[in-house]
Amino acid sequence: MNLRFTVILLLIICRVNISASQNDEVLTLQFNPIFGKEALVLSKSYFSKNNNDSIQIDVLRFYISDIELLLNGEIVWKELNSFHLVDASVISSLQINLISSSKPIFDKLKFNVGIDSITNVAGAMGGDLDPTKGMYWTWQSGYINFKLEGKSKVCNTRNNEFTFHLGGYKYPYNTLQSVFLNTNNSNELNIVINAEEMISKINLSKQNHIMSPSKEAVLLSNELTRIFSVQ
Amino acid sequence: MKNKHFLFSLIIVFLFGFKAGENKFFTTPKNWPKPIYDFSKNPLTEEKIELGRALFYDPILSADNTISCASCHSQYSAFTHIDHALSHGIGDSIGTRNSPVLMNLAWQKSFMWDGAINHLDMQALAPISHPDEMGEKIEHVTYKLQRSALYPSLFLKAFKDSVITGEITLKAIAQFMLTLVSANSKYDSVMSKQAVFTEQEQNGYQLFQKNCNSCHAEPLFTNGLFENNGLTVDATLNDFGRMKITQKSDDSLKFKVPTLRNIEFSYPYMHDGRLKKLGDVLKHYTSGIHQSKTLAKQLQNPIILSSNERVDIIAFLLTLSDKEFLFNPSFSYPKNIFNSTANK
Repeated sequence: MNLRFTVILLLIICRVNISASQNDEVLTLQFNPIFGKEALVLSKSYFSKNNNDSIQIDVLRFYISDIELLLNGEIVWKELNSFHLVDASVISSLQINLISSSKPIFDKLKFNVGIDSITNVAGAMGGDLDPTKGMYWTWQSGYINFKLEGKSKVCNTRNNEFTFHLGGYKYPYNTLQSVFLNTNNSNELNIVINAEEMISKINLSKQNHIMSPSKEAVLLSNELTRIFSVQ
Repeated sequence: MKNKHFLFSLIIVFLFGFKAGENKFFTTPKNWPKPIYDFSKNPLTEEKIELGRALFYDPILSADNTISCASCHSQYSAFTHIDHALSHGIGDSIGTRNSPVLMNLAWQKSFMWDGAINHLDMQALAPISHPDEMGEKIEHVTYKLQRSALYPSLFLKAFKDSVITGEITLKAIAQFMLTLVSANSKYDSVMSKQAVFTEQEQNGYQLFQKNCNSCHAEPLFTNGLFENNGLTVDATLNDFGRMKITQKSDDSLKFKVPTLRNIEFSYPYMHDGRLKKLGDVLKHYTSGIHQSKTLAKQLQNPIILSSNERVDIIAFLLTLSDKEFLFNPSFSYPKNIFNSTANK
């Protein structure tokens, strides 16, 4: 059999496998980044009451992992190999399609923001976990769970930039966060992520960057559970 | 019938001949511990090892295509940078630490002098990205590899995929590094009763077991831990080692205990290459220990050795040289691979 034919055949088989068959239920998680009450537009200037200053967000990028659906506190469905890189600048990444063989009945959605410790020590991974995605520290092993970058005049830095790269998987600097959201039993869930909620917790005139696992990274990561909500 | 027997023995060899994940490209030497690397997640194949070898020797990994892994890790010095105290990089930049030897990496829990890297697959990312080493980005490395004349076909052969990702690039480099096993020194022959030590080597071995073995544990000649071995801080580097990674003051001045295999060829010594000769190293341990809070407990009582005893220990250390490893043609510059594209 010629090689080209084999490759094409393999591609067709793979394609059939990854797309949902007709009986599968598809549940869509749609992430909507906002700033306060407005939709978030990257590199646009917003006024932040808490910081009393105009702020722009240039990068909002994070991992969503271990997605589960719960009913009365029991897990009724769990995504396998559940790792998704969500990037406010990549529209397609804001939508996650969950595929289930039967229609799940649930009242709660759970996901982690970041990458668990086992995956952090498991060596080179592909897909959204590929180190070419820019979410892996090179000088010290470990995934960056959450990136928030932008500008604010109160930052006494080059170009008034702030840079928050939150990560760290080892005690006492474990930054992984679990988010639980009450939901209705719908096939499409709109999940709002409010960048202002996050930025308002930071005194930008004093703190303008975190770029390694640390106490500061843990403290700020704790805020991640509060910036997600279901619309 | 004969065929059946053959098939049966083949199955037996397949099931029991190799330990989990091991195959003909990697076997655990007799009486060695189980490797730490999980081969089942990255099973070795000839094509992948050869691809990794090409990448290891190719300066395409650096920003200006001048520095390869082999620039600071050359085979004849047990894959370190002989005679260079600190590592070198693009544009004549100089790093802050001595480039470590590369051997027996499948048994290593963490990498770098301070253990910053948690998995062999991820190790190459550090020198590739460091501004004073290769100064590149893995996403740009894969971009360059994808557009090269050589690599798409090598990746296709090795990984059945011509789309070059960070994952498979790193896994290929890890495969080559995993094959760098040094276990054929005179010491090993003596242990397997195929050779005998001279009287001096034997005396050195006994002194070694009494004074050095608790950190430089056989058969790997390291316990894999981080220790403060009594060096003063170099004020031009201010390197506190492991503490930078754990942020614990208990780890101040601790560095990874290095293997002593092939130590004859891996000079200069210590994390910053400050000691040039083995004699200097022995002198450090007998009369140069700097007392501090985190000093290894093994060094808190002085090690007393006469000058003859020091010479005997060095005679023993020279039995850790493994010429078969240092000159193994399958670890050297892969001329055949690079010439094949040069002719295209």
